[in-house]
Amino acid sequence: MDIHAEITANVWQVRTEVGATVAEGDELMILESMKMEIPVEAPISGTVTAIAVKPDDQVKEGDVVATIEP
Amino acid sequence: MADADDRYNWGPLVQDLNERKEKALAMGGPERVERQRSLGKLPVRERLDLLLDPGSFVEYGQLADHMDPALASKGSFAADGCITGIGEIDGRRVAIAAYDFTIMAGSMGAVNEEKVTRLRELVLRQRIPIIWLLDSAGARVGGGSGSTFAGMGALFREQVALSGVVPQVAALMGHCAAGTAYIPALTDFIVMVKGISSMALAGRHLVKAATGEDVTEEEMGGSQVHTKVSGVADLEVADDAECLEAVKRYLSFFPSNNTTRPPLRETADPVDRRAEELYEIVPTAPRRAYDMTKVIGAIVDDGDFFEVKPAWARNIVCAFARMGGDPVGIVASQPKVLGGALDVNAADKCARFVWLCDAFGIPLVFLHDVPGFVVGSVVEKQGIIRHGAKMLFAVSEATVPKISVIVRKSYGAGYFVMNGRAYEADYLVAWPTAEIAVMGPDGVVNIAFRKQLEEAPEGPERDKLRIELAEMIRANIDPYLAAGHAQVDDIIDPADTRAAIIAGLRANRDKQVFRPWRKHGVMPV
Repeated sequence: MDIHAEITANVWQVRTEVGATVAEGDELMILESMKMEIPVEAPISGTVTAIAVKPDDQVKEGDVVATIEP
Repeated sequence: MADADDRYNWGPLVQDLNERKEKALAMGGPERVERQRSLGKLPVRERLDLLLDPGSFVEYGQLADHMDPALASKGSFAADGCITGIGEIDGRRVAIAAYDFTIMAGSMGAVNEEKVTRLRELVLRQRIPIIWLLDSAGARVGGGSGSTFAGMGALFREQVALSGVVPQVAALMGHCAAGTAYIPALTDFIVMVKGISSMALAGRHLVKAATGEDVTEEEMGGSQVHTKVSGVADLEVADDAECLEAVKRYLSFFPSNNTTRPPLRETADPVDRRAEELYEIVPTAPRRAYDMTKVIGAIVDDGDFFEVKPAWARNIVCAFARMGGDPVGIVASQPKVLGGALDVNAADKCARFVWLCDAFGIPLVFLHDVPGFVVGSVVEKQGIIRHGAKMLFAVSEATVPKISVIVRKSYGAGYFVMNGRAYEADYLVAWPTAEIAVMGPDGVVNIAFRKQLEEAPEGPERDKLRIELAEMIRANIDPYLAAGHAQVDDIIDPADTRAAIIAGLRANRDKQVFRPWRKHGVMPV
């Protein structure tokens, strides 16, 4: 399942890695926009199979930032 | 029954009546009923059994039929495909119209419309909530109706006349089109069963004929469309049983009509319970986001709240809950979505929720953590000015008790539309982290000191100046400054938020506002 950025933002921190097991609600990364640190949470439990961004990357609303295999 | 005496021959009469009633109770017959079940849908009479208190249903028009010579070949229609009557939910009377998909796809005909018209009249005379269980393809389109259409349409106007007088609820439990899409549109609350319900102005065959588009009912107007994209529906549920539970739960926050108080539900949850878990939920670091629904859960009775449109405009939370036993409508910023900033959909969601609560005397509680409205060319083209004005209008108009809690940021128009002091906030308190200001320090610096910044050499010197100026401005963004001027009513320990809100609600319980007469305002839309 692809995880998308909900808002145009900077990638501030990546908090997981490829291969990690995550539970629904776990924080995958933190974006920065509107002067706020906005967490990207896992919508499902599973294994992180891809992380499409690194810190300081710019993402647009809708861009894929990570992928989780349930 | 004296069979031997011909003058008292009730037997055949009663038997005949019972047979007709049994036929009506069988709906469209076992085959069609089974087909509904195989789709995961309950037969309409079972839906009523689940919704209404046992034995409370007084049915009207059970023996109705289509009475249309043009439909003679189709046999008789049990209850003309729509069951109407008055029953009770949790001991309170409600009117109900439930469409039967096993009878000509639940379509609306002259006779069943006669039944629902009668129901609307009864509702107006009794002032009780009205619920529609919609599972209907819309109006029966026959070859003969032609321009007699000119006399139709009163049903929608009658709904509008009831709007804000009695609660109106629509449960979408099948694919609905046209007329049966406007019925929910005019109600206060729409719940949709996932996968089997939809609403659209026209069904797929009509759409294909009219525009050439090939699309399924689900794609066009299913629950995902209406709860996530269009914002027309309020809630998506997994099945019929959950749907009916949601209807009951929604109604439990509402009075039976607009002249009685919302119902009290006693709770063992102490009114002055300290919610120390808030220290762990809300960061003091101002840029760090958190989930506002956790704050709501910590302060309401028994942690229980009922969100409306949870999947749409998620940057604002609109939820019913109880505090100290009394229903409240909570409007809260959601910092983890768009930083809690307001956009066109959030403004619409909030405006509608505020109007709904105000219509039925449900007090409002606003939890602020809002950096303002989203700005820029994209939102301007979307009309953020008129959508934002709509939210402002709704909050200004509301005369129910209104309590505001400034949790963290509350900037500019965001502070106003979330019921700032000047919006007849009846009790406005701030957390020590509250930042009430026209805008954040960085924003002020860029405007008020633009020239000084431009004159400073670009690079570390300009950055240093910018930071210094921001710090200077930040020193003035202090809730104790507002408290010193008596512009906020108190500053509170976050753990006392529940107690403060309940105290504010109780202190303002009998609020009355008198405004100059007018027919109605000119609402931004």
